[in-house]
Amino acid sequence: MTYAIEMQGVTKRFGPLTANSNVAFSVGTGEIHALVGENGAGKTTLMNVLFGLHQPDEGTIRINGETVVMDSPRTAIARGLGMVHQHFKLVPSLTVAENIFLGMEITRNGLIDHKAQSAKVRELSEAFGLHVDPDRRVSELSVGIEQRVEILKVLARGASIVILDEPTAVLTPQESRDLFRILRGFTQKGMTVVFISHHLSEVMEVSDMVTVLRDGKVVGTKATKALSEDELVRMMVGRDVNFARRARRRSEGSPVLTLREICARDDRGLPTLRDISFEVRSGEIVGIVGVDGNGQTELAEVISGLRRPSFGEIVLAGQSVQAADPLTIREAGLAHVPGDRLRRGVDASASIASNILMGRQHKAPFAARGLIRWPYVREQAGKLIRQFDIRASGHKAVVKTLSGGNMQKVVLAREFSQQTPFLLVDQPTRGVDIGAMEGIHDEIMRQRASGAAILLISVQLDEILTLADRILVMFAGRIAGELDPEKTTEDEIGFLMAGRAAAEAKAAS
Amino acid sequence: MTTSADETRAKTRGLAAARLPAWTEGLLGQLLAIGLSLAGGAVIILLIGENPLHVFGTLLRGAFGSSERIAGSLLQATPIIICGVAACIALRGGLFNIGVEGQLYVGGFAAAWVGFSFSLPPVIHLLVAMAAAVVAGGLWVLIPAFFRARYGTNEVVSTILGNYVAVLFTSYLTISVFKRPGGWSETDPIAITARLPQLVEYSRLNAGLFIGIVLAVGLQLFLKHTGAGYSMSAMGSNLKFAEYGGVRIRRNIFLILMVSGAVGGLAGGVETLGVHHRFMEGFAPGFGFDGVIAALLANGSPIGMIGTALFFGALRAGSLLMEVETNASREIITVIQAFIILCVSAQILVRRRTGQRGERRWRF
Amino acid sequence: MEVLEKIFNLALIAATLRTTAPILLVSLGGSFTTKAGIFNIGLEGQMLVGAFFAVLGSIWTGSALGGLAIGVSASVVMAAVFSLLVVTLRANEVVVGLALNILAGGLTISLTKAIFGTRGSIVSGDIVGLPPIDIPMIDYLGRIGRVLSGYTPLVYFAFIMVFVVWLILYRTKLGLYIRVTGEKPEAAEALGIPTARMQHIASLICGVLAGLAGAHLSLGYITMFAENMSSGRGFMAVAVLIFSNGDPLKVLLGCLLFGFSDAASLRLQTFGFSSYLVLMVPYLVTLFVLFALTYRQRPRVIRETLESLSLMRRAGQNGA
Repeated sequence: MTYAIEMQGVTKRFGPLTANSNVAFSVGTGEIHALVGENGAGKTTLMNVLFGLHQPDEGTIRINGETVVMDSPRTAIARGLGMVHQHFKLVPSLTVAENIFLGMEITRNGLIDHKAQSAKVRELSEAFGLHVDPDRRVSELSVGIEQRVEILKVLARGASIVILDEPTAVLTPQESRDLFRILRGFTQKGMTVVFISHHLSEVMEVSDMVTVLRDGKVVGTKATKALSEDELVRMMVGRDVNFARRARRRSEGSPVLTLREICARDDRGLPTLRDISFEVRSGEIVGIVGVDGNGQTELAEVISGLRRPSFGEIVLAGQSVQAADPLTIREAGLAHVPGDRLRRGVDASASIASNILMGRQHKAPFAARGLIRWPYVREQAGKLIRQFDIRASGHKAVVKTLSGGNMQKVVLAREFSQQTPFLLVDQPTRGVDIGAMEGIHDEIMRQRASGAAILLISVQLDEILTLADRILVMFAGRIAGELDPEKTTEDEIGFLMAGRAAAEAKAAS
Repeated sequence: MTTSADETRAKTRGLAAARLPAWTEGLLGQLLAIGLSLAGGAVIILLIGENPLHVFGTLLRGAFGSSERIAGSLLQATPIIICGVAACIALRGGLFNIGVEGQLYVGGFAAAWVGFSFSLPPVIHLLVAMAAAVVAGGLWVLIPAFFRARYGTNEVVSTILGNYVAVLFTSYLTISVFKRPGGWSETDPIAITARLPQLVEYSRLNAGLFIGIVLAVGLQLFLKHTGAGYSMSAMGSNLKFAEYGGVRIRRNIFLILMVSGAVGGLAGGVETLGVHHRFMEGFAPGFGFDGVIAALLANGSPIGMIGTALFFGALRAGSLLMEVETNASREIITVIQAFIILCVSAQILVRRRTGQRGERRWRF
Repeated sequence: MEVLEKIFNLALIAATLRTTAPILLVSLGGSFTTKAGIFNIGLEGQMLVGAFFAVLGSIWTGSALGGLAIGVSASVVMAAVFSLLVVTLRANEVVVGLALNILAGGLTISLTKAIFGTRGSIVSGDIVGLPPIDIPMIDYLGRIGRVLSGYTPLVYFAFIMVFVVWLILYRTKLGLYIRVTGEKPEAAEALGIPTARMQHIASLICGVLAGLAGAHLSLGYITMFAENMSSGRGFMAVAVLIFSNGDPLKVLLGCLLFGFSDAASLRLQTFGFSSYLVLMVPYLVTLFVLFALTYRQRPRVIRETLESLSLMRRAGQNGA
């Protein structure tokens, strides 16, 4: 058996963090090899090392038997590697053919030969069964077709080893199935495919071999046929999955937030939320889970007043707020931990005290007669720093000098100290280390105990399973199903996240 | 090897930081920028065949040579300070009001018009005239402010173009409608009752200076100690954060530009009511732009802006003597001012490259 | 009606083409920076410096071509400083552009006084202007033909450049890379396109065209330099660029509109309207178009209707 890729003893550190530790990863020529693991297990880092985007601290890489120093993506491309990133890098105003030939245009008399480019793309696209119209503008394409353009980009550069990073994360089930068909076609032509995933079902469906990463280390490489889904889950998570970590209860409280038939459109005017209805009662945590980009961001924006819904009704603490601005909604009883901490959650160049003040600069006891009572603000900031265990030199510390976890605690401290009946918590532990994560989870549970209604949005399934009393799965801007965390399985959630109907998901698990 | 070199550098930087308080870094930077710019100015002066030392000496003498000349410097600085306040208001809210010059012209004309058209009791006449200046300045920026707030229309271009219209429009009013019979492109004089009191016998230096300083200090206090000021500076430093925190962005963008324009109008009123006592075509060339530059160099800090405005006032006053006594034209100081901005904008980067991000609100 | 007829005649068309040329040239220059993702408020200053040094060069070399070359070189230097600060040093483009405009104003006046000892303007018999081009045989086309003949070369050049700039932007690698740099720099960088270099190139091309625009002002129909003689045309160009997004054909339309309002206002002056009011017209037209078009481009708020909602529900059920 010949190997297309052999990585040996690869270690990659980012400061104190070790993303890959002594990883051995080999892929045989002509196989579809799945690289799986939870979020943060080091899959993407490993592939970036392979593709020359990161330099490994230790280890060697061999491509088709030859040792290669991957100093840049150029080297990788020259060696026949091609990478399809999770976030597409296409230029919307250009045509498919222009995007594919960007950087290696075909010219005639100094001018770009659009006809020749289109012809080449058409030829390539038909050869691999991709069916892409080379003359369409990328801005008119669906996500699934955009991905095919990215794949064509790689093929046009002569790749025989194709790496796909979470290729199905943004696809509908049908589009995923088409993708798998295309990938099979590649291997029939003798090409090699590596794809990164954490969707178990598709790994089982399409791959020949599986390598599991956990905490930056290889847990094992096995033939897919020799594995059951349960075994795979154990390899990924490192334990038998046990969801019943705490007592849940159906809240008997009254509804604090009610959404009825909410629809919204994104910045381009395309529907992004479709007919969303649910409620959050006091004393319960409702978890929203879904693959990134299925409308969670827009849902948070709509609830907090940063985006106007195009239809539907939102009632917060008895007040109709679907047409209200953020201030009115906050007055009605919202506290909001935003998903994009650095861009929305803080003023990074200001002190902790100044950040704590936001939203209360007009309110007693933080202000009186329009004037800010700075001594009181500083005193409160000091108190919150102790209460939330924010590691900082004091209330004067500038927020951007803090670590991600401590920055997040500043946001939590500000929002949770407002004693509002409703908390919207979006990705509370994204980019936060384990120690701080537990503190943040405890704080959310304390808020629940004190009777707050909490909507928790997260892409971390673990987090939702740990904290939520009820789980809503979002797919393509819709609520795909509601689940009871005590009875559900990860697979059932996985199926719903992939857009299958609830009954089907139940049957499959 | 490189690590140890980096460590040494980090250490020396740490030491330097330990020895000097943070604010001195900014001050040193400003002084360095001014030094470099004067050097650049010197090169230009050499090019035009003059001795830079002689020219700068004359400049200094013209600015500070006698109490009359010091008063002259303060007189020149007065409108720059008020225009600077107008620019600071917009900058701190994250906006550019490059139309201060135009607001100055319409404000100046409105005040003069009240001054020469009505007869009112002393203090009231003055107050009404100043109010007219404020209203005119605000109205002048009304449409750009509305479109910026509602539709995001670029305020830089719309306010700049407004400048040209303002200058032409006030010239039209002066020459075609209100021209003083026998006069040369100027209106009737403003009644004594509407004039700003003079501060000293020997100069036209007037109470406008105090208006400027009070406005600047007031703005500083407003920003630091009021809820509205806090909201406004939050917009300037992170608009998305302010929006998320419940600051009404659109309304505030409108209000900030309107107030900025109103203060720009007041600057014109002070100039006509305090200095010229009439409206003349081209009565205050460049004060609006000087104010914007002064505000930019002070990074939007009103108190710091008083400093830069006084410096610019001295440059202007000195340049008058310089033009008489040397072959250099007074616009050479404009060149120096432009050099200063370019140096400051380049120098921020040096700090950024070394990894010490400046505490500046805007990317210069 | 008679008045209207007097205003709108062939002479007006000719005047429109003449007044359009400089703003068209500078706007086409700005097309490159706009497409490269730079907001170039410094066009005004580049044009002014171009105008001044074109006059200077014309006197020094005794030829219009020499003037053109020196004027263009000067504005390219301004453009280089601009892109050095904005692209390499990542300074704020509005601040740098503003500073360079102020620099251009001060520098040209200072140098005028130093070299010619006058304030305000340079008028001299030594300035060699650009010669008008008579297209041979054009008289056979009658009045229409005469309208197309007798302009200085830069007028023809400006209108030809609309097509050339379009060709560069949309049919060459350079143009493609410049557009990608402005639209999606991360895509460009992922494919090894040097975005910083593209922005520098765009800025320098812009400097060349802005310099030509300036030279047209001072060597075209009037051979003189007056202080601040670009009188806001650079800013009008920026307005054109905002609502045309740098597309050469839309740029042409916008510039023709301003050229026309410029030409029409000059004719209005001959009918006894105050010259001050008349001179305001081009600025007001620019502002009006700027506001009107941004109003039109505002994001539409789309309300879902109940029917579309039930449609969506049905589609959702079918899809699942």
